[in-house]
Amino acid sequence: MTVVSDIAVAPRDRLNHARALHWVLAAALGLACLVNLQVGATDVTLSSVLAKLAQGETLSQIERVVLFDIRLPRLAMGILVGAALAVSGAAMQGLFRNPLADPGIVGVGAGAGLGAILAIVLGALLPVWMIDRAGNHLVPFAAFLGGWISTILLYRVSTRHGRTSVATMLLAGIALGALAGALSGILVYIADDRQLRDLTFWGLGSLAGASWAKVLSAAPLILLSIGTAVMLGRGLNGLALGEATAAHIGINVQRMKSVAILAVAGATGAAVAVSGGIGFIGIVVPHLLRLASGPDHRTLLLNSALLGATLLILADVIARVVIAPAELPIGIVTAVLGAPVFLWILLKRRGLVEL
Amino acid sequence: MRHYASKAAFRTGLCAALCSTFLAIAVNAEQSADAPQTQADVLSIGGSVTEIVAALGQEHRLKARDTTSSYPPSVADLPDVGYMRALSPEGVLSIGPSLILTEEGAGPPEALDVIRAANIDLVEVPDALSVAGILRKIEIVGQTLGVPERAAGLMAEVEADLVAALTDAEHPEDGKRRVLFVLSTQGGKINASGTGTAADALIRMAGGVNAVSDYEGYKQITDEAVGLAAPDVILMMDRGGDHGVADDELFAMPAVRLTPAAQTRSIVRMDGLLMLGFGPRTAQAVQMLNDALYAKGT
Amino acid sequence: MSLIAEDIRVSYGKHAALRGVSLTALPGEVTAIVGPNGSGKSTLLGAITASLPYRGAVSLNGQDISGMKPWQLAAQRAVLPQASRLAFPFTVMEVVRLGLQSGTAGDRPEVPMQALARVGLAHYADRTFQELSGGEAQRVMLARVLAQVWAPVENGQPRWLLLDEPVSSLDIAHQLQVMDIARGFARAGGGVIAVMHDLNLTALYADRVALLATGKRMAFGQPQEVLTDEILSDAYGCALRVSAPPPAGIPFILPHAASA
Repeated sequence: MTVVSDIAVAPRDRLNHARALHWVLAAALGLACLVNLQVGATDVTLSSVLAKLAQGETLSQIERVVLFDIRLPRLAMGILVGAALAVSGAAMQGLFRNPLADPGIVGVGAGAGLGAILAIVLGALLPVWMIDRAGNHLVPFAAFLGGWISTILLYRVSTRHGRTSVATMLLAGIALGALAGALSGILVYIADDRQLRDLTFWGLGSLAGASWAKVLSAAPLILLSIGTAVMLGRGLNGLALGEATAAHIGINVQRMKSVAILAVAGATGAAVAVSGGIGFIGIVVPHLLRLASGPDHRTLLLNSALLGATLLILADVIARVVIAPAELPIGIVTAVLGAPVFLWILLKRRGLVEL
Repeated sequence: MRHYASKAAFRTGLCAALCSTFLAIAVNAEQSADAPQTQADVLSIGGSVTEIVAALGQEHRLKARDTTSSYPPSVADLPDVGYMRALSPEGVLSIGPSLILTEEGAGPPEALDVIRAANIDLVEVPDALSVAGILRKIEIVGQTLGVPERAAGLMAEVEADLVAALTDAEHPEDGKRRVLFVLSTQGGKINASGTGTAADALIRMAGGVNAVSDYEGYKQITDEAVGLAAPDVILMMDRGGDHGVADDELFAMPAVRLTPAAQTRSIVRMDGLLMLGFGPRTAQAVQMLNDALYAKGT
Repeated sequence: MSLIAEDIRVSYGKHAALRGVSLTALPGEVTAIVGPNGSGKSTLLGAITASLPYRGAVSLNGQDISGMKPWQLAAQRAVLPQASRLAFPFTVMEVVRLGLQSGTAGDRPEVPMQALARVGLAHYADRTFQELSGGEAQRVMLARVLAQVWAPVENGQPRWLLLDEPVSSLDIAHQLQVMDIARGFARAGGGVIAVMHDLNLTALYADRVALLATGKRMAFGQPQEVLTDEILSDAYGCALRVSAPPPAGIPFILPHAASA
C-alpha cells in the first residue's frame, strides 16, 4: 500500500483552492447568519420581519425585542467569538509548530477562568461603588484581566535576553494551569451553591448573556487581534521550517512571536471573557481547513476566522432550539459535535490506521 | 478517490448540523401547535412559588415553569424553561407570559433585562427560612395574581398548621437528637449542611439539632468531622430508587460507619422540595421530620 | 566583498566551543570547514549566520552582520541547515517558494521550478514534503536555498551560500551533483562556505580549507596545504595517510574517480 497523502485537493491547485475557499466560506457565513436570525424559540422569523418592513408596517414589540435585543447581538457575538477562537487556534498551532495547540496554550484560558471564579465567588467583597459601576460586566472584566495577567506572566517567564522559548512557554503554561486550578479549587470550596452553579455554567460557555454593550466592548479588540493575526501568514509559514531557518530566510522571529502571542491573548481573552469557556473551535477548525486546502497560513488564518464564525453560530442555533424553551450551554454543543470530528481526524491521519 | 473522502465527510458533517437544526425547528413548531388554549399567562420560577400558585387555586394560570418546580405533579406537563439562573431570554419570550413570578436569584441579568424590555412583569418573591417569611411569600404571590382574599385564607391556614407543628415539635434541649443533613455522597465525599441553610432551619423547627455548626452553607465535610459531629440521624433528599441498597452504601462509608446514626441505621429521606422549599407544605415537613426523629406514631 | 570572521568566541555555559577562530572567505571560491566531531564547525557557521550569540566580528560584503536585520541578511546569503524539519504537510514546491520571501528573486515565479530542476527533483514538485527520504528532503532544502539567492552576483555584490554538511545524507551520485552546484555557484561569482565531513569531497571541490579542532583553527589554506599527514593525524587523533594506496584486495571508490 502506498503512503496516502491526507490532503484532499490536488496540491498544484492548493493556493487557488484556498483562495476560492474564502468566498465559499464567506457565503456559508452569510447563510448561517440568515439561519441564525430566522430560527429561534419564538416564532419570530427574519423573513416575516423583512416582509413587514417592506410593506411599511411597524414591528410588534416582541418582534423588535427578539430580533434586535436577542438574536442580533447574539449573532454578532457568535461571529466575533467563533472567529477569534479559530484564528487563535491556527496561529498558536503555527507558532508552536504543533497541530494540537489551542488558544489556551498562552495561558489565557486558565487566567480567564480564575478571574471569572474570583469575580463570581468573591465579587461581593468588593467596595459597593465598584460593584455598581461594573454591574453585569464584573465577571467578563475580571475574566479578561485574568487572561491578560496570565499571558504576560507566561511571556515574562519564557523570554530571556529578548528571546521567547516556545518550549518553556508550553511547560510554564502547564504549571500556571495547575496553579490556577488549585486557586480555583479553593474558591470552589468556599462558594455557596448558587455560585457553584454559576461557575459551572460559565465554564460550559454560552452566548446567552450577549448584549450590545458586550459586543461593542469586545469587538474592537477582537477585530484588531484577528486582523493582526491574519497578517502573520507568511511568517508562520517560514516558522514551520524551525526558528533558526525562519530567521535565515529573513523573518524577524522574535517580533513575530510577540505579535502572535499578543494577538491571541487579545482575541481569546476578549472572547472567553464574554462567552465563557467554549472548546474545540480553536483546535478543530484549523485542522479541517488544513485537510481541505493545505497548511499555507496566508489563507489558513482568514479561512479559520470565517469557518469558526460559521460553525459557532450554527452551534448556537442548535443550542437555542434543541431543548426550547430552555437552552443548552454552547460549550456542550461544540464538544458533542467537535469531539467526534476530532477523533475522526486523528484516525484518518497516516500511521494510525492499518491498511 | 480516497483523498476526497475527508472533504466529503466535512460537507456531510456541515449538512448534518444544518439538518438537525431544521429538524429541531420542525419539532418545536409542532409542540407549540399542540399547546392548549387557556387563560394561562404566568411563568412560575422556583419550586415553592409554583406550589403557592397552585395552593391559591391558580394553577390554571400557569403557562410554564422551571426545572425545580415539581409540585403539584401536574405541573410536570408544563414546558420547562430550564435552570433559573441560566434562563434563555428568547425561550422565555416564546412562552409568551404576561407575568413572571420568580424566587430570588433568577438570571443571568442580561436575560432579565431583555425580558423586562419586552414589557413582561417580573415579580421577585424573596427567600424565606421562617414562618413569617413563608407567609410573606404567599402574600406577595396572592397580591400579584389578584387573589388577595384567597391568599389571606391560605396564610391563615398555613400559619395555624405551622404553629401547631412547631409547638408539637418542641423538645427539651438536652434530649434533642443530632441531625446531619447530607446533600450528596458523590465520589465518596460527604457534602453536608452547616448553618444558614434551608436544611438547617428545618432541622431546628422540627426540634432537632444540626450536628454541624462550624460552617455556613453546604460544604464537603471531612470524615473525622462527621465522627465528631456524632449525628443520631442522617437526613437526605429522596432520590427514588432502591432505598435499601443506598442505605447500605451510606452506612458502609468509613466516615459514617462509627456514628450513632449508623449503629441504629437511622436515616430519614424526604422529598427535596417538601423539605427545603419553604412553601405551603412546610408544616407537613416539620411534622414528618419530627415524627421520624422522635419515633412518634411508628 | 568577502565574508570575514574575526576572533570568534562562543561558549555554551562553561564549555568553550570556539576559542578565537578567524576565517576569510572570498567570492568565487568554495571555502570548506572541516574537522573532527566537536571541533566547532557548525558552531562557527552558526556564528557566521548570526544564529547564535558570539563574541568577535563578522562582516559580510563589507558590512558588520550584527547591525543587519534578518531580511537584509536574507537578501545576501542563504543558509542550508544540517537537518530539515517541517512541522506541517507543505508540498515540495511550497517549501521551495519559502525561499523567495526575502530573497532577491521574489518577482520571478519561474525560479522555484528552475531550482528544483537544478537538484533533479522537478518531478517532485507536488509531493508532500513528509513523504520524501532524508536525501531527497535535503536536496529540496538546497533548492529552497538556491531560490533564495538565485543570482550568484547581484548589483556587483556576491551572494553567499552557507551550507552545513550539505551532502551528509546523500548517495554518491547526488553528493557529486550537489557539490557541482556549489562549485558552479562559486565559479559564477558567488561565495560558498561549506561545513564538510567528507575529506575526499573537500579535497575535490574546495578552493580553500579551514581545519578546526577543539575550538581553534589548526590550519587554513589550499587543500594540498591543509590535507597533509601530520596536520590531519594531529587534528583527528588517528594516524592518517594522505594519498596513500589502500591495502590490496579491498575495493575503494573515490569521488575523484567518478566520470561526469
